[in-house]
Amino acid sequence: MRPSVNRPPTPDVQENQEKEPTLQETINIKLIESGEKERLMELLRERLVECGWKDEMKAICRAFIKKKGRNNVTVDDLVHVITPKGRASVPDSIKAELLQRIRKFLVSAAL
Amino acid sequence: MSSKINSNNNNHRINGQISLQPCPHLADFRSRHRSNPFRALQDCLRIKPPGGRAAIRRDPSEVPLCGACGDSGGGRTRLYACVSCAAVHCHAPPGGGPSHAAAHAESARGGGGGGHEIAVDVDRAELFCCACRDQVYDRDFDNAVVLAQTAASTLHAPPHSVTTPTTIRLPQPENLRKRRRVDYRPWTPDPRERSLMGSSSSPLNGTVSDSDSNSDSRSNDLLPWGLRGLNNLGNTCFMNSVLQALLHTPPLRNYFLSDRHNRFYCQKKSNCNGNGDGIVNRRNASNNERNNNSRMCLACDMDAMFSAVFLRDRKPYSPAKFLYSWWQHAANLASYEQQDAHEFFISMLDGIHEKVEKERRKPHSQGNGDCCIAHRVFSGILRSDVMCMTCGFTSTTYDPCVDISLDLEPNQGGFAKMASTKSNHASNGEADCLNSSQNSGISTLMGCLDRFTRPERLGTDQKFFCQQCQVRQESLKQMSIRKLPLVSCFHIKRFEHSSTRKMSRKVDRYLQFPFSLDMAPYLSSSILRRRFGNRIFPFDGDEPEASNELSSEFELFAVVTHTGKLDAGHYVTYLRLSNQWYKCDDAWITQVNENIVRAAQGYMMFYVQKMLYYKASEKQVAA
Repeated sequence: MRPSVNRPPTPDVQENQEKEPTLQETINIKLIESGEKERLMELLRERLVECGWKDEMKAICRAFIKKKGRNNVTVDDLVHVITPKGRASVPDSIKAELLQRIRKFLVSAAL
Repeated sequence: MSSKINSNNNNHRINGQISLQPCPHLADFRSRHRSNPFRALQDCLRIKPPGGRAAIRRDPSEVPLCGACGDSGGGRTRLYACVSCAAVHCHAPPGGGPSHAAAHAESARGGGGGGHEIAVDVDRAELFCCACRDQVYDRDFDNAVVLAQTAASTLHAPPHSVTTPTTIRLPQPENLRKRRRVDYRPWTPDPRERSLMGSSSSPLNGTVSDSDSNSDSRSNDLLPWGLRGLNNLGNTCFMNSVLQALLHTPPLRNYFLSDRHNRFYCQKKSNCNGNGDGIVNRRNASNNERNNNSRMCLACDMDAMFSAVFLRDRKPYSPAKFLYSWWQHAANLASYEQQDAHEFFISMLDGIHEKVEKERRKPHSQGNGDCCIAHRVFSGILRSDVMCMTCGFTSTTYDPCVDISLDLEPNQGGFAKMASTKSNHASNGEADCLNSSQNSGISTLMGCLDRFTRPERLGTDQKFFCQQCQVRQESLKQMSIRKLPLVSCFHIKRFEHSSTRKMSRKVDRYLQFPFSLDMAPYLSSSILRRRFGNRIFPFDGDEPEASNELSSEFELFAVVTHTGKLDAGHYVTYLRLSNQWYKCDDAWITQVNENIVRAAQGYMMFYVQKMLYYKASEKQVAA
């Protein structure tokens, strides 16, 4: 029986470290390290629930499952169906608020 | 391809519990790692305080990346960690990008004997089968996650010494039959019924108009039906206030006004019973007393009161007969001292119930409300879950209740500090306090209900005997509402009696209460769903019916308020009729603005269900 936690051989990871991290990756790491990403995620979750977006998505999922039949649907199918609709229906106010927060963070992180 | 594979995953209910057939890969994995297959994952379970989300991280600051392409997840891809070897790979829905997680499973199958199909979502702690490309569920895994989440939500260190949790079993609740609901069918009387109604009843309009021919009667005609002052018979404002609320409790009012308890018939019946059986009830009573005592029926006195109050006579009514009957029922409270309105309320419902029970000679369960009108209107069912912190075994009990007594939140210092920051920085890891309204520092009824249904750690001196561990363990208790009553009475505990300090005091703090209330978040179904998320949970076998969500909306119709000190105070009731508020202060009734009601110090609040449903009758109706 295999022992519980085993790292696979690491040639994959070495490959990545040869390249410079892109700007996007750097920002992402900074966001995570400072804990800001987690806070932003929670803020986003709260806002999306408040404005009814989550309930809308739930309803779309339910309708889809009803149509296809309970045993013929995978998580991938659901994600595939609601991703475009979900992205399109996020209210602009929420996008603006999050952008504002991220900008504020970048300004403070750059100092 | 996915649809064919998933036809194996039939979820069907066994004994009311969802039993999912594991996919062949999950079953294979479990058989390879017989004992505690998810042991390694347990150590990597991190619960993030705001929201209590479970994530898988090898160490707390790990930033997971796909081993093959460096994708950091979020957006269109999710990251999965293989349960066998902890390798992290990305997965995108078919057509959205590569799935290195599926490739990992494939290569393991091609090269070795497989066994790398099961992976766990690193950000959600949910199991996934890379071969079937679908989410899978495992009871033991979900148990472990739920345990960690509830432990973290009470700021307790996650238990590491967890033995393999077995299934959580909940006992089936007794006396809960599936309530079949019948659709509303509109009805109008046909000519025969109409003539029957005309001949057997007398209209209320033209009766007592002769007596009040003074100028008051004209203005009084603008007031709605049933508004009549109650004379104070000597510190009886506690009784008057509750009676006013009950006189306008829609189901109760309808019951008595449609003659469902006819006091003349009831008197005749009880006299016959008293005479016929000999001295059954009152062995010590003399012949005279026997007739009087067997007449003590609070429901009959209510019936008389309803008849009197719904006349056009606006002179205040003296509920002396009712008071006398109630004194006979609650002898210990029979005095001219001020009593507690809530105590009176409970005692009165009990009095109505007792009389009916005595006559019926057949116990009916209170939870169903079949025993008497008092319970039919006010009785709900509370569910109490006590969960052992060590093994997760949950013991559930159901208790009927006629009202809910709520504690006022303890004093929150620093109102200004909390009011200024409306940001989402959750304070002190309070996982379930995401309402920004809480930050403004005012106590609200919903806040009290949140506290009522919050999981509470039973202290070390209140250890609960866990049937699975066979020893007293620390445990977590959570209340929720299994069945909502037709009328919810919320009693705010404003009178504190401390036996240690031998003193009592009154809590005057203002409580904000809404005019419309949705009780859905406090139902057992919602509380359980919040606790377990989308894990398997043994739910009692009762599917949350869609109609349950419909009937959880309540409207406020009466507020009993208390002003003054503990020993020298006054009760006043505010009634809402046709969206107008009326203040009922013993014999004086005045129309008031709703803002006055909002600002009043609520002691008991009465809410009625917005929509009533007809239950399918078991009796066969003759054609």
